[in-house]
Amino acid sequence: MNRWRYLLGKIGWAVFTILFVLVLNFFLFRVLPGDAARAGIRDPRLKKEAIEAIRVRFGLDKPVINCFESLNPVKFGSCGVNPLDTQFFIYVKNLLHGEMGISFHSNRPVADILVERLWNTILLIGAGQVLSVLVGVIFGVFAAWKARTKIDYGSLIISLVAWSLPTFWLGIILLFWGSNNGLPIGGMQTPGMSSQPFFVRAGDILSHMFLPTLTYTIVYMGEYMLIMRSSLLDVLSEDYILTAKAKGLNTFQILKDHALKNAMLPLVTVIAINLGFTMAGAVQIESVFSWPGLGGAIYEAVNRRDFPVLQGAFLLIAIGVIAANLLADLTYSYLDPRVQSE
Amino acid sequence: MTTPPSSPAARLLDFWRVFRRNRMGVAGLIMLAVIVFVAVFADAIAQYEVRSSIAVTTSDIYQPPSAQHWLGTDDAGKDVFSNFIYGARVSLIVGFFAAFISIIIGGVIGIVAGFFGGRLENFLMRFTDIMLVIPDLPLMVVIVALSKPSLLNIIFVIGLLGWTTTARIVRSQTLAVKSRKFVLRARAIGAGKAHIIRHHILPLVMPILVVNAVLVVSLAILNESTLSFLGLGDPTALSWGQMLNYAFGRGAMSTGAWWALFAPGFGIVWVVLGLTLFGHGLEQVLNPRLETHHLMNPRSTVKNEATGQPLRHATGERAALDKPILLQADSLSISYINEGKPRARAVENVSFTLREGELMGLVGESGCGKTTLMLGLLRLLPAAGQIVNGEVWFGDTELTALSDEEMEAVRWKGISIIFQGAMNALNPVRTVGDQIAEAIAKHDTTMKGDALDARVSEMLELVGISPEHKKHFPHQYSGGMRQRAMIAMALACNPKVVVADEPTTALDVMIQAQVLELLDSLRKRLGLSIIFVTHDLGVVAEMCDSVLVMYGGVLAEYADVDTIYNNPRHPYTQELLKAFPDLTHPDKRLTSIPGYPPKLDELPAGCRFAPRCPLVFERCRVEEPKVISIGERHMASCHLLERMKPE
Repeated sequence: MNRWRYLLGKIGWAVFTILFVLVLNFFLFRVLPGDAARAGIRDPRLKKEAIEAIRVRFGLDKPVINCFESLNPVKFGSCGVNPLDTQFFIYVKNLLHGEMGISFHSNRPVADILVERLWNTILLIGAGQVLSVLVGVIFGVFAAWKARTKIDYGSLIISLVAWSLPTFWLGIILLFWGSNNGLPIGGMQTPGMSSQPFFVRAGDILSHMFLPTLTYTIVYMGEYMLIMRSSLLDVLSEDYILTAKAKGLNTFQILKDHALKNAMLPLVTVIAINLGFTMAGAVQIESVFSWPGLGGAIYEAVNRRDFPVLQGAFLLIAIGVIAANLLADLTYSYLDPRVQSE
Repeated sequence: MTTPPSSPAARLLDFWRVFRRNRMGVAGLIMLAVIVFVAVFADAIAQYEVRSSIAVTTSDIYQPPSAQHWLGTDDAGKDVFSNFIYGARVSLIVGFFAAFISIIIGGVIGIVAGFFGGRLENFLMRFTDIMLVIPDLPLMVVIVALSKPSLLNIIFVIGLLGWTTTARIVRSQTLAVKSRKFVLRARAIGAGKAHIIRHHILPLVMPILVVNAVLVVSLAILNESTLSFLGLGDPTALSWGQMLNYAFGRGAMSTGAWWALFAPGFGIVWVVLGLTLFGHGLEQVLNPRLETHHLMNPRSTVKNEATGQPLRHATGERAALDKPILLQADSLSISYINEGKPRARAVENVSFTLREGELMGLVGESGCGKTTLMLGLLRLLPAAGQIVNGEVWFGDTELTALSDEEMEAVRWKGISIIFQGAMNALNPVRTVGDQIAEAIAKHDTTMKGDALDARVSEMLELVGISPEHKKHFPHQYSGGMRQRAMIAMALACNPKVVVADEPTTALDVMIQAQVLELLDSLRKRLGLSIIFVTHDLGVVAEMCDSVLVMYGGVLAEYADVDTIYNNPRHPYTQELLKAFPDLTHPDKRLTSIPGYPPKLDELPAGCRFAPRCPLVFERCRVEEPKVISIGERHMASCHLLERMKPE
């Protein structure tokens, strides 16, 4: 019973957070001065008809939200407007239909552009996340197990250095090194690959993934190592580890059966919280390696001032991170028997 | 945290003395000092003014490092080294000012939420949670892209989005400080909220805030360089990120101009690594962790240390007793050795014998070495602990000489242990039945499947727990049940000896009695030998066959239970008995022993009991008494006994 309430609470919270992001996203692009459509409206060289055309095209002729004609809080509009005919509800309605506007740059629907890029980002982040957690956990386990030895100090320093590397710079350095060693230096596929058989294509994508994934792994493994080390140190000084040792279990058995699961639990939460930071890494890595993902979309949209794409990409990333957080919470409650009765 | 009030300057000096020894922290501090110096004196260090325009020809672009341009030139033919030097200014300015904003916001939210609690806290923390989930860099990109990319804007955006972790950390620290006694006292005498926050909460939140600030600065610097690299930097302030943006976007890669790509990144790494090391050092000093655990390699056993030869048959006459000896400790000495601290001689020269079916009580005050002695028997000492002398005989095997693998086979199957406080002694994420089964399967590989399951049920029934509870987790058990489950686990492999280390301390009186009764009845049914570690002399009188009294790590007196209670010879035993109620003389006054037990790393010179002994004389203060055999199975360590002994 408790468990269901816990799950419902978490899901409700995620939905609320997504609503918050929807509102934030809506107002950011209307409050801040940079939106091209409204910047265009203020251009004195345009004729009245042209301004009106732009306003209609982007829906700016409608009141922002009920009772408010514009974003000037002192200037009330009429409250009698049909709430479904305001900018905000049209925005929500369009989102529910999967519409995010039209790209300024390519004139294609933003949703179409982003959906194909979403999978590329998931592929890259998924591979990087799995590898960095794996490497970080292994280093962390050794560092904690061999605490206060050279192995420990060595892994600690490697982790701190890795943590301090700016992701994009590491990407540039690896790209520089890779381009001198015959690795593909950008994009996701060699042109003309789409007609090749599946395995050739997969191999090609893998070789394109190598450098971005390596960058990702190096940057994020340090943090996972530090967390794993500290978490395992806590667990290994618990009384139940002494019990396990007193039972005659050897070091390997104790680590495997008593320490790792307990120490991994905090890591699950950290991985989830980290997903937000992870997207920061994805933006940088995809920009450096021209990886056609959401992060790359942000980079391109910024440089082309393509605001519908920027808005859509931000929304999609935020929702993805919130969903992943929810997933991690649910995993945690499944892994830790104590959560259910709390 | 009972630091005596001292001036801030004195405290800072104390802090510096400790910090100085932290190599990582000092290295970080030096790295930061260097870069701050460079930023401040940029005009003197850089050979070329960044903003002044120079006549550039195509041959000036991407020149490799030379005597004129130490780090070559960039895409505009400008000196990379000079740009690098000036870039330090931008990075540091953005880092420090943005972090300042974040720390103020996070600090205020954290303290207000933690201190005032209630709905306000709920609202603030919910808001913090939301901001924590929203990916910050994409949001920064959106905001900066929509507003003007000026340095001031970037500082504000980074600052206004970077406070979430600070708020969480400060809040939990405020909550912890708020319930401290001196804060409650200040509230009780009617101190105002502002006064409490300023004088009581802030000083204790500050250290954590400082450590956190270092991290926030480094994140702000990383974020600034990322924004600049993505093309959102202030075009009038050339930061390291921007240098990389220009170099990467304007052909440094294809020209092979590694210097233009390498130098700015190196600057970022230098600052961030310096901050990280510095923060790591600060944290280790302000919040020291022992960083020891149960799986660290134990120190190897040493024989014949200063105290002399191991005495194999020192424990008196054995022939008179009918039952064979199961476990025997001979002149066992154990020390704790921590670097930079004097060695703590936790157990010294302790001997005893345990026969089949015998129940020996081990009594003494907290910190007298009881638990150390028991852990030493099973070689389960923490990493700092070392057996420095003596032998432990289990039947025909000398345990201190066994290899780790051989010792693992003895544990639980030969000697098992019931730990105090079974809540923490059971693994919270595995079912109780599973943990019992694990012990059985480890020592008897033929036990599998149904047979194993049946044995687990049998063991639980033995201690009065219904077998269906084996599927449950420790937190679903009551305190008494957990202790019973621990006993079931300890008996699961049919051990010959069970060490019960204060098995009832955490339990209420009724449950204590039940658990003791259970132990006693199991001993009689299964013919166990038990070493019972306790404070409770009443229990010892009722249940035990023999008693070992320890004081400050040494054997004070060792005899059968009747001798201890009726004819105690060591002054400590005598005093100890006076401190316990005697049912036959209910009107007798109870007396406590004045003073405190000795600290194991600051032992008195002579007898360890001398400072508190009512019968102390001059020899006690200079010479340590030997363990003297007074009668059949009766030993004590006191100079008085030697004197009285007819020579």
